[in-house]
Amino acid sequence: MKKTHKFKYLPDKSFRQFIKGLVGSHRVYGPVEKDGHPAFGQISAPDDLVLSERPTHLSAKEFLFPQREVLLRFNMRSATHIPVIEAERQVLIGLHPCDIKGLSLMDRVFAGGVADPNYLARREHTIVIGADCMPDEYCFCQSLGNSEANEGFDLFLHRVSKGFLVRTGTEKGGELLLKHAEVREPSEKELKDLEERKKKRDSSFRAKIEASPAELPSIYARSDESAVWEKIGAICTGCGSCNNVCPTCYCFDVKDEVRPNLVEGERVRTWDGCTLEDFAKVAGGHNFRKTRAERLRHRFNRKFRYLSSTFDSLFCVGCGRCSRACLVKINIVDVTNELIHQSNGR
Amino acid sequence: MNSYIKATDDSLHAMTRGMESPYLPFLGMVERSMRVSEKERFFSVAPSNESMLDYRPGQFFMVGLPGYGEAPISITSAPGEKRIELCIRAVGNLTNALHRLHKGDRMWLRGPFGRGFVLDELSGKDIIFVAGGIGIVPMRSLLKAVLAKKERFGKLTLIYGSKTPEEILFAEEMDGWRRDGMDVQLTVDKADAGWKGNTGVVTTLIPRVGVKDRNTLGVIIGPPVMYRFVILSLKAKGLGPEEIYMSLERRMKCGVGKCGHCQISSVYVCQCGPVFKMSEITGLPEAL
Repeated sequence: MKKTHKFKYLPDKSFRQFIKGLVGSHRVYGPVEKDGHPAFGQISAPDDLVLSERPTHLSAKEFLFPQREVLLRFNMRSATHIPVIEAERQVLIGLHPCDIKGLSLMDRVFAGGVADPNYLARREHTIVIGADCMPDEYCFCQSLGNSEANEGFDLFLHRVSKGFLVRTGTEKGGELLLKHAEVREPSEKELKDLEERKKKRDSSFRAKIEASPAELPSIYARSDESAVWEKIGAICTGCGSCNNVCPTCYCFDVKDEVRPNLVEGERVRTWDGCTLEDFAKVAGGHNFRKTRAERLRHRFNRKFRYLSSTFDSLFCVGCGRCSRACLVKINIVDVTNELIHQSNGR
Repeated sequence: MNSYIKATDDSLHAMTRGMESPYLPFLGMVERSMRVSEKERFFSVAPSNESMLDYRPGQFFMVGLPGYGEAPISITSAPGEKRIELCIRAVGNLTNALHRLHKGDRMWLRGPFGRGFVLDELSGKDIIFVAGGIGIVPMRSLLKAVLAKKERFGKLTLIYGSKTPEEILFAEEMDGWRRDGMDVQLTVDKADAGWKGNTGVVTTLIPRVGVKDRNTLGVIIGPPVMYRFVILSLKAKGLGPEEIYMSLERRMKCGVGKCGHCQISSVYVCQCGPVFKMSEITGLPEAL
């Protein structure tokens, strides 16, 4: 019996068929061109999809943990409520390894401890199709060991000449591929092509963290008193962009929205951000993180230290989105390297 | 629980039906609503779900009203009582709306949440309870639980500080507490003409409490600004990090360790707390 390869070759023409098939049976979201930049949007035809090698501005978290979602609908007069779970069958396509790692960390958060049915219902009905990328000057997933996705996807598309080498991550993904596309075993030439592209990508990373991922929690633990926090706190505008674009920032606010009839309404969950001023403020007015320096220290520590023991992973995936989005050019790699230097200098 | 809407197919219904959403409130029927000071109102609430009466002193509910949201509110009744008692200060939209509730009205409750006091850990000890302001509200739950089994404890002292004599809560219950053997000492920041007691912050009373070697625990519940000073006073009395308990206040939106607001380092106060032993938060820069 001939052993089948872990890759299947999907020619460009068949790829278009595949997308058509997906669009016919699911809502499909993937990178589209928006003002000259790749951004996740809905795909209704193969031409909408722009499998960009560049990172999207926002991560894919919004499709599992939307910026705004309804938890329940209520009636103020009767004090009754109806639970709401918004979920639809969806395919997320064109996710880079950092996006995939981000989703797998969100899975750990929302499935762990007291499980979150709203998130899990979405997750259950979501198919993830990964795609290759090329690092820009902010990308540093390689430094954190996340430059290749080995799990967390149903299918992964590796670009080669005139088509893709498709890796199957789950049975569900494999079935989907066979249902909507014609694939064949890859040729030696195609496999070699992939190998060369991978080499080129591996050598293209410019941003680098100067310590191993395993060392970072303890380096951060030694840095509570570092002057770095005051330095970046002095320029931070507290805009919360870093929280919004981060694939693993999952903090949320819950508030009630009342309809104009003043009887019915919805309890909604929205993204919140620990860099925003009121995030840790209690009703009496006391703010447990009064300064921007304290709030930034909290955010950076959440990525590299606070959650690492609970979830057995760093919570930074190395996508560089926070640095890319920062209005005052606070760079997560530079900050971390400065802490590493200070820590080693002791 | 199973009337989900906007679910797009049957399998989704099937999948979520068995899962209990932690975000869905239960009804609480207000049986008593009583203004007890200028800013505080006392409620006795019958919960629609009996299991909500299974709580420890120090735990809290997410108390809400449709249209006004939710906030973490301490329990002031003691385990074993048939009603949940709350004492709520009006400081914002939600709490002002709660103040408009009267007998027969309904509020929403989720919980109880958090780690409360474990009476077995405290038994056999002398205990100094230090309450400031509405810190007396959760403290009352613990005091009542301890006094109900007072033979298991040593000398009990309550030091309770308020801004003014009018703001003292549960004054009418204190004679009973004294009869049960607790030394109740009150102090106010600002005395009025009728005030005969102590004037000054709570720490002015701590040095006067007699402490037997290594057999005394301290419990602190009060406004954030109070903790550092009370800890210093208790340390001066010889109490160590294993002997000081405290309940920490934080902003909370979920109660189940997800929303992030109550996080101190790797600690989620809503689950790991709000009750902590001093030793558990030593070294966490933002704890106090």
